[in-house]
Order: sequence, then structure tokens, then C-alpha cells
Amino acid sequence: MTPLDYVWAGVLAVFQGPELFSLLGLPIPVTVVMILCGFLLGIAVGATPGLAGPIAMAISLPILISIFGFTPDALLPVMGFLIGIMKGATIGGAVPAILFNTPGTPDAYMTTLDGYPMTKKGQAKKALKVAHFASVTGDTFSDIVLILCAPFLAILVEAYLDLPEKTALLILSLSFIAAAVGGSPAKGLISTGLGLLAAYVGTGQDFYPRLSGGTDVLAQGFPLAAAILGVLIVGAVFHELALFWREKEGTRRAGPDEASSADQRLRVSDIRRLMPYISRSALVGTAIGALPGIGSTLAATLGYALGKRRHDRRKAEGDPGFGHGAPEGVAATEAANSSVSGANLIPVLSLGIPGNTAAVFLILAAESIGGFNPGPSVFNFTVDVVNPEAVIAFGLFTCMILANLMNWTIGGLFMRAMGVMTRVPKQILLPVVLILTLTAIYVQETNMAAVWFTLAFGLLGYGMRVLAISPLPFVIAFILGPKIEDSARQAFAATGGDAFFLLTSPVAALFMALSVLVITLSTRRKKGAT
Amino acid sequence: MHQTRKTHLILGVVVVAFAVFLMGVWIPLDTTTGVVETVRRQTVIGDSLAPMVAGVFLLIGGALVLLFERGSPDQPQVDMINLKFVGLVAATLAFGFLIMRYAGPLTVWATNMLSGGALEYRLLRDTAPWKYIGFFLGGVFAITGVISLTEGRLSARALGIGVAAILVMIALYDLPFDDLLLPPNGDV
Repeated sequence: MTPLDYVWAGVLAVFQGPELFSLLGLPIPVTVVMILCGFLLGIAVGATPGLAGPIAMAISLPILISIFGFTPDALLPVMGFLIGIMKGATIGGAVPAILFNTPGTPDAYMTTLDGYPMTKKGQAKKALKVAHFASVTGDTFSDIVLILCAPFLAILVEAYLDLPEKTALLILSLSFIAAAVGGSPAKGLISTGLGLLAAYVGTGQDFYPRLSGGTDVLAQGFPLAAAILGVLIVGAVFHELALFWREKEGTRRAGPDEASSADQRLRVSDIRRLMPYISRSALVGTAIGALPGIGSTLAATLGYALGKRRHDRRKAEGDPGFGHGAPEGVAATEAANSSVSGANLIPVLSLGIPGNTAAVFLILAAESIGGFNPGPSVFNFTVDVVNPEAVIAFGLFTCMILANLMNWTIGGLFMRAMGVMTRVPKQILLPVVLILTLTAIYVQETNMAAVWFTLAFGLLGYGMRVLAISPLPFVIAFILGPKIEDSARQAFAATGGDAFFLLTSPVAALFMALSVLVITLSTRRKKGAT
Repeated sequence: MHQTRKTHLILGVVVVAFAVFLMGVWIPLDTTTGVVETVRRQTVIGDSLAPMVAGVFLLIGGALVLLFERGSPDQPQVDMINLKFVGLVAATLAFGFLIMRYAGPLTVWATNMLSGGALEYRLLRDTAPWKYIGFFLGGVFAITGVISLTEGRLSARALGIGVAAILVMIALYDLPFDDLLLPPNGDV
């Protein structure tokens, strides 16, 4: 099979996969329906303050696996649903920011700066339309870059990197994530160290499960779902509950201050004016997204700052400035934070390194179902025998394109209807989400110990948030820890027990030097900033 | 008056102390192979190396906090009242899951005491209504408890939401699937 045959096979795997039902004699493939369901759910959870895409992914994953089973046929419907959630939540997050000045996620904070003033001026619908247009444009651009770059990067990695280089690359990725996420490299290292430690409990090659204290409960190690969902979801819910309880903001929100007389239409002339802002932000977001671990908050901040600089120079007399209800501000922010999501999948699909929480859940789904191991070997275009992983990878790209098409066509309409979700009270929503998540973990693991582990990891996640330690390096280290160890063992054995196996090859030595450099530079920058 | 916070100082000391304990005590005592082992004249990486790397990450991180961020002005404030609140929420959840674990078997035991029967929960764990007893009682307790803690009062509305949410979860996870087991029925 040629690479083009693999691309076509991926498209067919989506459209000619298992049929859910038939409409006027036309078979409706289950994957397409799942993408649509995930997309609509994603918009709804994104529009609900206190909820986010990862929570919806966590709750739905065991249900999806129960529906579709542990067969390779399950991969595309399940991962298509998760991709739908990821896309939907990206645009849904702008709804509470624009209508109620309530950023559902940190990156949506920048959207409030101009989105809410537009709402106050009676342009809520126009602000939502601008946010949607900018978000979808940025996201589509980012997906195109992902589809074009990921296979080539993977082929390069497979062709030029041997075991020591791959080990060094994984260490470089961890160092980069530790240094770049959360603003404090020292705390990033602590988070990474804790994640690695948790990954190594109860594992190893000896008969005795290491670091288990001789107990049966630790002998199997920590379940992947318990550690990830505990730190990411339960920890976040604890933190939100504590903030809510402290601030006592339980009063029902009033409706948006919207005057119907204002012009709500997004005209072609508006789009022409917004495009320079959207394209710059899309480039910034995609470049930032391609680096593992750097979130959409930085992209939104940079996109907004670049847009502001341009707007200050070129705005016409009487036009609102940034921070006073400029549609350009909404467009610059939304295009930047949305274009992170597609590019964030470049490291996971080409290197097996998850760059964000959505990638973490895609890995969790792949590991739970089996038959797909994200990494450079995915894009091994074997000629004689079909590589099913490559077909799945191009199927995933097809899912992303389909989700984008849905976003362009029905996304805006559905997004504008989701204003009602912002009225769901947090103090009711969060406890229900907590029990739903714990039940989902039990259903997946069928083991009460997994629930206790999740609660314990939830407390750890809460503690990390209190101490301003990002939990993302923990989760990524937990996933990559076993891979690094396996890779290092193989590289060590392959080099005949050379203690300096990470330094003998020039490429591996370069990666290791970069690891030290990235930590050193970010520590000095942090020191200089304080 | 500007008051210097000691959060980073305490964090750094705790992390460094834990890293030293991990590398000096825990790993050597709780791992059976060393950093590098020679097996049948082949030198291989032992089980201790990877946790040691984790310890090094912690040690460097803790040391960097102590060296460079000890006196930084943007130190997070640890609010003891918030910690107590989250502790109470976690305790409520834990108690809810204990109810979940034991309510079903206790009900079966009480039924046996009253009727003189010899029912066994393990054999009934996939049979309605027995399979729902623990999940329903424990889940309603946990949701109602956490809502009440957050709102600062116990209300009929919180109870109603707890009941409704658990019924929806049963409808979501149990009714459509034969192979899914609600807690605690998978491992009683």
C-alpha cells in the first residue's frame, strides 16, 4: 500500500465502518454519529462554567467502551466522540466568557476582555458570531498543519532516531514540559518527579513489585484512570468547590445585559477586517500548540497582545479599542486558543508524547481499547502488509475534518443556544460530576481500591493547585514514565551496558544538553522575573 | 506592612526531605534490584534506577524552590479554612463510598435475621433491587452531603438532587448494559 492508499483507507474506515442506521436507504456510519454527539456534548460542557472537555471525556469513556467493546472497530467511534468533545468544548468555552464575564477556562479570560463589553453594548450575538468564526478558522488551520506535519515528523523520527536518541527525546520532552508548564520550572520538576514516582510504584521487572511496601493493594501499581482522573478532574472539582464556598457566589446569575437594537450581523466587511488578526493568532496558536505541554492560555495571551499592537496602530477614529468591546480582540483571542488544540496532537501522534489533556484522554482511550499505540511507528507505511495503526491515524484525521465541518455548519447556531447552560449552579453541578467521575472509574476498573486511589490523587491534585503546581506535568510524566524506562532498558542493553549511552550519540547528547539548558534558562528567567 | 510568606520555604524543605528519604531509605529498602544489575554476565538496568530518576527530579525541584523562589513575592497563600472544607468534602465522599460498600451486605444480613433466610449478597449483586441498595444510599449521601457542605445548610432540594442524580446514573450506567457493574458490585 502506498501512503495515499493509507489516507484513503482511513477515510473509508470512517465512512464505510459499522453502520448505525439507515436514512432513506443511505447507511449512516456510527463514527460520524459519534463525532456529532461528542461535538454537541462538547459545546454544552464548554458553555457550562465548572465543566470542561476533560470532565465530559472522563465520564463518557467507560460508557463508550461498554457500548463498543475492546475491539479495533471501537477505536474510531470512541476517539471520534472524544475529538468531537474537544472541538465542541473549544468553542463552547467562549459562551460564558462573552455573556456573563465568567471565564470557564483560564484561556477564556482574555475573551471576557472584549466579549463582555460587546455584550454590555448589546452586541452579544455578534460577539458570539465573531468568537465562533475566529475559533473555527484557527482550529481548521491548526488541523491542516497537524495533518501535514505529524506523518512527516514521525517518519523522520523513525528514520533517524535509534533507542538512545528516543530515550533522550523523551527526557527532553519531560524537561521541556516541566520547565514550560505553569510558569515555575522548579514546581514543574516537582510535579514531574511525583508523576514518575507514581508511575513506578508496583511495577518493574523483578518478581517483587517495587515500592509496594509488601502490600497487595500497591502491588499492581496505580490504575492509569485513577491517577489521571484523580489529579486532573477530582482535584479540579475540589479546588472549584473550595473557591465557590469561599467566595459564596451561589446567587443565580442575571441574564445578559443585551439590547436588541444593536447590529448583530457578521458581515463580509467585518470578516475582511478580522482576518489579519485571526491569521496572526492562528499562526501563533499553532506554533505554541505544537510544543508539548504549553497550553492555550499562553497562545491566547500572545494572540491578544499581537492583535492589540496592530489595532492600536490601525484602528479608525471612533472604533472601540482592545478592552472596550473590540471584535478584533475577541477574534484574536479565540483564534489563538482554538488553534492550539489541533497542533497539540502533533507530539502525541508523531512522538507518542501527550501535549495536553485531550491528548491524554486519547491515549487513555487507546490504551483501554488496545490496537493503537500513538507514536512514530503509527506512520509506518508498510507496502506488503497493511499497518492498521496508520489506517486508524488517517481515520482520526478524517474525524477531525468532519468535526470541523460540523463546527462550520451547525456549531455557531448550537453555541448561541447554549447560553442557558451558564445558569446551572456550580454547587449542584460539581458534586454530581464528582460522583459521576468516581462511578465511571469504578465501572471501568471494577475495583473499590481504584475509587480510594482516585480520591487520594484528587487530594494530591487539589494540594498541587493550592501550591500553584501545575498537575499537567504529573499526568504526562505518569504516562511517559514507563515508556522512558522501557526505552532506556532497551537502549542500555543494545549498547552493551554502556553507562554513557545517552551521551555517546551526538543527537542523544544534543537532546540531553537541551534538557539541561531548557531547565537552566527557564530557572534563570523565573529568577530574573522575581 | 508587607509580610513574607513561607509557603515556598516549607514546600522546598518538605520536597527535599521527601526526595532524600525516597532515595536514601524507601528505594533501597523496598526494591530488590539495584540501579544496575549483572545477570548471567550481562549488565542490565535494575528496578531502582527509574525511581531514583524520579527522586532526582524531586530533589532538583525542591532545591530550586529553596534557592530561587524562597523569597518570591507571588507565593501562594495556603488557606487552612479551605483545607478543612476540602477535608470535610473528601471525608463525606469517603463515608458515602463506605455506605456504598456495606449497605447492600448489611441489608441482606438484616433480611436474613428477620426472615431466617440464608441469602448471600455476593450471589445477589447483579439482581435488582439488591444491586442498587449500596449505590443508591451511598451516592445520595455523598451528593447531598457535598451540596449541603457547600451551601452551608441541609435542604430538601439537595436531597432531591442527590436522589435524581443517582437515578440518572443508574439509568446511564446500569440499565442499558449487562456487563457493567455499579459500585460496589464488581468486587464484593
